[in-house]
Order: sequence, then structure tokens, then C-alpha cells
Amino acid sequence: MIDALVRFSANHPALLWLLPLALLPLLTSAQRRVPVAALAAAPPDGPSRAISALLRVAGIVAIAGLILALAGPYRRGETLTRTGIGAQVSILIDRSGSMNETFAGRQPSGAEESKAAASRRLLAAFVGSRAHDQFAVTAFSTAPMLVIPMTDRHAAVRAAIAAIDRPGLDYTNIARGLAMALSQFGPASPATSRALLLVSDGAAVIDPRVQDTLRAAFTRLRPNLYWLFLRTKGSPSISDRPAGEDTPQAAPERHLDLFFKSLRTPYRAFEAEGAEAVAEAIAQIERLERDPIPYTEQRPRRDLAGFAYAASLVGLVVLVAAKLGEADLRRTRRSAAPVLAIASDPARHAA
Amino acid sequence: MTETAQPDIVYRPRGRLPGTRPGAHRGREAGGLGTFRDQVPFLRMPDARRIDVRATLRDPFEGTVVRRFEARTPVEVWALLDFSASMRFTGEADRMALASAFCVGLAASATRIGDAFGLIGCDETVRDDVFLAPSRAPTRAAEVARRLADAACTGHGAAGMVAATRRLAGRPKIVFLLSDFRWPEALITEVFAALGRHDLVPVLLGDAAEAEGLPDWGLLELDDLEGAGRRLVFMRPALRRRWIAREAARIETLRRLATAHGRPPFRVAGRFDPDAVSRHLLGA
Repeated sequence: MIDALVRFSANHPALLWLLPLALLPLLTSAQRRVPVAALAAAPPDGPSRAISALLRVAGIVAIAGLILALAGPYRRGETLTRTGIGAQVSILIDRSGSMNETFAGRQPSGAEESKAAASRRLLAAFVGSRAHDQFAVTAFSTAPMLVIPMTDRHAAVRAAIAAIDRPGLDYTNIARGLAMALSQFGPASPATSRALLLVSDGAAVIDPRVQDTLRAAFTRLRPNLYWLFLRTKGSPSISDRPAGEDTPQAAPERHLDLFFKSLRTPYRAFEAEGAEAVAEAIAQIERLERDPIPYTEQRPRRDLAGFAYAASLVGLVVLVAAKLGEADLRRTRRSAAPVLAIASDPARHAA
Repeated sequence: MTETAQPDIVYRPRGRLPGTRPGAHRGREAGGLGTFRDQVPFLRMPDARRIDVRATLRDPFEGTVVRRFEARTPVEVWALLDFSASMRFTGEADRMALASAFCVGLAASATRIGDAFGLIGCDETVRDDVFLAPSRAPTRAAEVARRLADAACTGHGAAGMVAATRRLAGRPKIVFLLSDFRWPEALITEVFAALGRHDLVPVLLGDAAEAEGLPDWGLLELDDLEGAGRRLVFMRPALRRRWIAREAARIETLRRLATAHGRPPFRVAGRFDPDAVSRHLLGA
């Protein structure tokens, strides 16, 4: 209760010193005064007392409402931390030129869709499905691009994902992309479930020096790592050993997989060779990431002057109605006067 | 003043008045002039001028009979005027103006037939600024008008009436008690009882606006003239009926008390009509 009161404030708090004026209706009344010889002449009456009290309250409400409204009351904006079911998901999307191709390795034509378009469609559905998931989107090709930082504004995230089927460019520099995607997690409680979703159609060699940095970051953040490998038909699989020399340069996918496995974080790789396989992989990720997550809710500052004006309007309407309902002893029943004179004096009637 | 334009208030004191001074009303004493009263033996009233010859001749015992006539004596007319703040009430008519017109008319009527007129104003105490010792001077009406025009009603209550009754000790007088009688019943009884030996005429200053003239509907913020506060009343036909019934009951109580001590009250409302007063006084 106190907390709720503390959040109220006003633009001009000094005006609130005028609030005692709201007690004026207890002292006086706006009604026209009708002098009478004795109050005792009027019989005691319950409805009259009720209306009298109502008018006083209406006067107090009208004055207090106006003063409050002039002071400009508002409820401060605040950030609420709540707990929901969801995860922090950092999506890292490959924007290299090959993403523009279909799963068959061609330029898309007709009804075919590119790898980027398919992943866009499926990821967009993934983003809206749970209310309290938080997402960050990072793209990478030669250099990483921060598309959107960690947020629970799903509309923004969907917009960011909608942008990933723009034609990609250049090469695959996965190490810097991973570093930025990891940096997106930011501080959160240790209980938060984190997931790093890497969507790519290829891999690249990670420099051993950079490997140590990444390893350290993974150890610190301990995200669940999912690699959605959009494999072009005919290209080598993650697990394929190359025919020749087994070096990172010869089989970058296999060596990236080996690097991920060596990180000692929960890791799964999904090898998808079509849009259905991508959907299945994403559904699986969605099932896995179910943990309580603290999320923040922004409550904007709210102007309360309208309520104050409305309250005073109600009071004023009551007062105006009472004013319109005023009667007076003198002006009414002029026609009754001669009747009375005759009643008190029968002889005058004859005269 | 306008008293020449209006008819006089004609009043007749109750009973026969003591006193030997000549005046306009029936006296207790038998005198030589006036209305025939009775016949007495000559030895009881040896006044040869009043020998009733026919009665003397008719008397088988050959006594001499003398006529006696009623002596006419004056009576003192007093107006006891309530100066409590409730007399400031203005409904159809200004209550104080009504009372003033009544007093002025009464003073003019009294002095014209040789009766002395005195005025006492009371609120919580006897108001000396509106006290006029009885006088038969023909200027009395103008003097009353001037005094009443200057006096203001400020008092809260009419307790001074009891003290005022003590100034009216002595021979029987006609006392007009002008008030709205918004007094406690005990005070009314006390004052009426104290004035019981006089010919008391309570004059109730009413106003149609206080009863029959009440509106059917509307909000009235009543403000008590005697400082009893304010009250909002929501007028509606049912409440109006109750209000009028309450007023009627109050007037009925007053009538009962007044009749027990003499005459029923006369109600002045709206306009002062001297003829109506005369009819009331002569009809009683």
C-alpha cells in the first residue's frame, strides 16, 4: 500500500497545499440561503439530510479534484521484474552469400525458397510462441552485425528476423559472430536458461587464439548451444571425415562441431536438409528451453489528471443540479396568497 | 403617516373598567352620563337631576327612583412587540413592517378616542429604545412609527417578555402581544398567564410563505434568523404536507393556550387590515 502511494507524484506539488480548501463545503454552501424564522418549523426529514451530506461531499470532491488536477498528478513509470517460463535466446544468423541459395545449392526460382527465407519463416514463428522469451539477433558474414540486443519485444525481434533474407554477402567469419552473440547475453541471474542458436550453412576455421577467448566466454555464460546446420545437398555433413587430410581447413564443419563438443556446455547440432527438417529442429529447441526466467515489464508513467478532472466534474454536476433545483419561499405560490387572506378573513371576500 | 387613510381599529375591552376619568369604554362606575344602566332609590344616589319621573310615579311604595348611567372610562392600550431576530423574516410581506403598521394603526386608533397607547419591545430583555410610556398625545402614532423604523431586531429569543409583563402591573389594560410566537411553549404559557388579568390579544404575525406558500419541489437551504444554523431541505409534496400540518399544529397549540387566557389569537398574514382586526376584537 505504502509502495503504491510512493509511486504517485505531481508536477506542481506545491499546489497540493491548497487541498485544505476542499474542506470549505463543510463550512458554507453555495445554495441560496432562505432566511426562515425558525428551523424547527421544518419537519425532520431523512432524504433532506442525505442530500445535504451528498452536496457537501460533492463540493469537497469538486474542489479537491480541481486542485489535484491542477497539481498534475501522475503515477511514476516503473520496471517490474517478474518470472515467467522462457529462455534468453541469442540467435546468430549466417549472412554469407550462400544463404541466398536453396537447399539444392541454386539461386531460388519460382516456388523455391532460399535457406535464408526458410529460416526466416520458421524462426519468426519460434519468436512469437512464448511470451517471456527474450531474444537477441546477431548476423555475421565477414564481420558480425548487431541486429537487435537482448529484448522481450517480440515484434522488434520478428522484424529483425524478417530482415535476414536480404541478400547476404561475402564470407563466413564465425568466430567473431560467436563472440558477439555471446556478448548479447549480458548479466542475468544464474538460474536463467540461455540458449545460443547458430543458424548457418557452412563453417569456417576458428583461429586457435580466438578459440581460447570463446572457450572462456562459453565457460562463463554456459549457454545451451544449438547449431542449426542448413546443409546444402551434396556438401559434406558435420560428421563426414574428409577423404584427404583431416584439417580444419579441409573440413571446417567437422572441426567446428568438434570445437563445440569440446566446450563442455550442452550442445546439439541439427543438420537440416530442407525446410521441414529446419522446422523440426526448431520445435525441438523450443521443447528443450523451458525454464523459469526473470523478465522485466515496463510500466510507463501515467497521467492521472484526467481522473481528477472527472471526479471534480462529477462533483460539479451534482452541485449544478442542486443549484438548478433551488427553490425560494418568496417567489413561489404567489397565487396562493389571496386564498390565504380569504381564509383568514371571510368577510373580505364579500367586500 | 398614513393612519388617516386607514380605518381605525375598533376595540372593546373585556368587562367593565374601573376608573373615574372619562373615556370611551364602559366603566365599572355609575355616572351621570352615558348608557342607561339601572335604577336605584334616591337615597342611594341623591342626584335630583337624574330622577326618573315615570319610574317614580309607577312605584307602589312611592319611593323616588333615580336613573344611573354607565360611566365611560378610558383604557390603556399597550402593544408588546417581539423584537427577536425571527421577526426579520420576509416572506410575502416584511414581518417587521407588518408589525409596525399594526402598532401605528393601533396607536392612532387609541389616541383618537382618548386612550393612552404604550409600546414595549422585547428580545432577550426589555428593549428601552422601543419603550414608550402610555400617552394620549395625538403625535403618538408618528412617534411609534419613528421608533419602530429605527429599531433593529437582533435578539435571539423573546425571554424579555416576562420582564415586560411586570411593567404592565396595575389596572386592567388591553394588551396586544405581537409576535410570530416561535417561542418555547413554556414561555408562551408564562407570558399569557402573567398577562391574564389584562385583556390580552395575541396577534400572530404569520406569512403564507411559511406554510401554504411552500414550494412543492426544490431544495431550500434554510437559514435560521435566530442563529440556530442552516439546514438543507428537499421539498416534495409529502414533506410539504407534513410541514403545513406541523405549522397548523403549532397554531392550534397557540390557539388553545391563548383561548385559555382570554381571546383567540389574531393572525396577520401578508397584509395588515384594520377592519379584520376590529371584527376579530368585536366578535370575540
